Amino acid sequence: MTSFSGHLSLRAEARENGQTVLVAQSFRAPFHLSKPYWDGHALLVQVVNPTAGILAGDRLESAVAVGSGAAVLLTSPSASRVFQMTEGEAECRQQFTVDGGGWLEFMPEPLVLHRGSRYRQRTEIDVGAGGELFFADLLMPGRIARGETWAWDKLRLELTLRVGGELILRERLDQSGPELKALASLAGAGEGACFANLVMISPRLKEPSGWHETIVALHGDGVWVGLSQLRGDCGGWSLKLIAPDNLGLRKTLKRIREILTGSLPRLACDPRKL
Amino acid sequence: MAESYPFSWLCGLLQLGDTFYPTGSYAHSFGLEGLVAENVVRDRESLRQFLLISVLPALRQSELPLVVQAWRAFEPPDWDKIGELCVLSSALKSAREARFAAENIGRQRVELAAKLRGHPLAVEFLRRAEAERWPVSPAIAAALEARVLGAPLEAALASVYYAAIAGLLAAAMKLLRLGQNGCQTLLTEMMELAPAVFVTAQNVPTDEIGWFNPWLDIAAARHETAAARLFIS
Repeated sequence: MTSFSGHLSLRAEARENGQTVLVAQSFRAPFHLSKPYWDGHALLVQVVNPTAGILAGDRLESAVAVGSGAAVLLTSPSASRVFQMTEGEAECRQQFTVDGGGWLEFMPEPLVLHRGSRYRQRTEIDVGAGGELFFADLLMPGRIARGETWAWDKLRLELTLRVGGELILRERLDQSGPELKALASLAGAGEGACFANLVMISPRLKEPSGWHETIVALHGDGVWVGLSQLRGDCGGWSLKLIAPDNLGLRKTLKRIREILTGSLPRLACDPRKL
Repeated sequence: MAESYPFSWLCGLLQLGDTFYPTGSYAHSFGLEGLVAENVVRDRESLRQFLLISVLPALRQSELPLVVQAWRAFEPPDWDKIGELCVLSSALKSAREARFAAENIGRQRVELAAKLRGHPLAVEFLRRAEAERWPVSPAIAAALEARVLGAPLEAALASVYYAAIAGLLAAAMKLLRLGQNGCQTLLTEMMELAPAVFVTAQNVPTDEIGWFNPWLDIAAARHETAAARLFIS
């Protein structure tokens, strides 16, 4: 079976009229780009994978840069499926750079790992001093409707975040499906438990105000919400969510974006507009 | 004569691991209280599962590899690498309270190492940590202590491993209906698993250090705003 060595490279800049445009773009299958749309808050860009999903041997590389004054919401129209592998693994390397005064929201649809898949995702984010970020990584336990959950062989989700050149966060989720299932079972989570790992950076979030208490209060009825301040004086926050199912996760995420829109007005951009 | 004795470091290491040694770690549950509040850890069996599927992997992939890398970097001192490891150890903790707890304990340990022993390596590390504003984790402090005492890497790993498990079990005794014997059998079981954990930890490269349990991270974050609590973290 053919494996892909795909790449995506984007650079967004602000025009004099305040709108954001892509001043450079380059991509190769399996990446494809929809026509960007400026909604008054951010430039909505959808990255489409027209293939069935990610297969053994696939190597995906992306680099997204947002200049000062520019605002981008990068999303995807459908879940990223990682298929069963008889050998090898798939790897995705993604690099995001946000200059001071820039805004990037990364809100892709969730990752769905099939039985016997092996996947490594390495994410590097560099935010310049005064830059803003709302980054989300979503994980589903598998093909729930088929009853295939927590069945992947190996999953590594690695995140490195620097702000103003300083290392702020390094996370490695390194679990087989059964290992993560054991942790979910211990916590009393069901077969459909979905996970979202969010990171927010903004000088406007340096002092927690009403939004903090409102988000923390979303915890309950099977939804776990953990919000905590990251190291450094950069307005950095880690927000982890676990919901009993995909619907619960989406609902909570939507509510969190609504709560934060008062402090982060660029979140008013609707990721499902296109 | 005393210095030529092959295990002269052992008494020093026993002192550092004693609850009598003022590190302040007795006041922390390292996320366990949050998990008890969420009813995840509620009895001896769920505590055992937590140790096996969360605490041991975190030690194997995160805390102990930091000790390994720092122990190697301290002799001869590679200050750039040591500074990098200090920042990394802080960046690995997303929950503020857990991060502050670790850094308070780590700093206290380093200050004691410099004050009680006056060893030039500890004094120089403390000077650089203050000048460069390095966060100091217990893992980095343990590596420094081992170098100050002349202890081998395996002893440093054993010391950190034992302190982590015993500290959690001591906290568990205050949070759960758990007796001395129940704790000691768990401690014994975890100690039997230690050698395999040490072997793996020694082979984790710097860029692969890190491991997290989402439920533990959330519980640790929620502990920061808990209305009632027994432990600082």
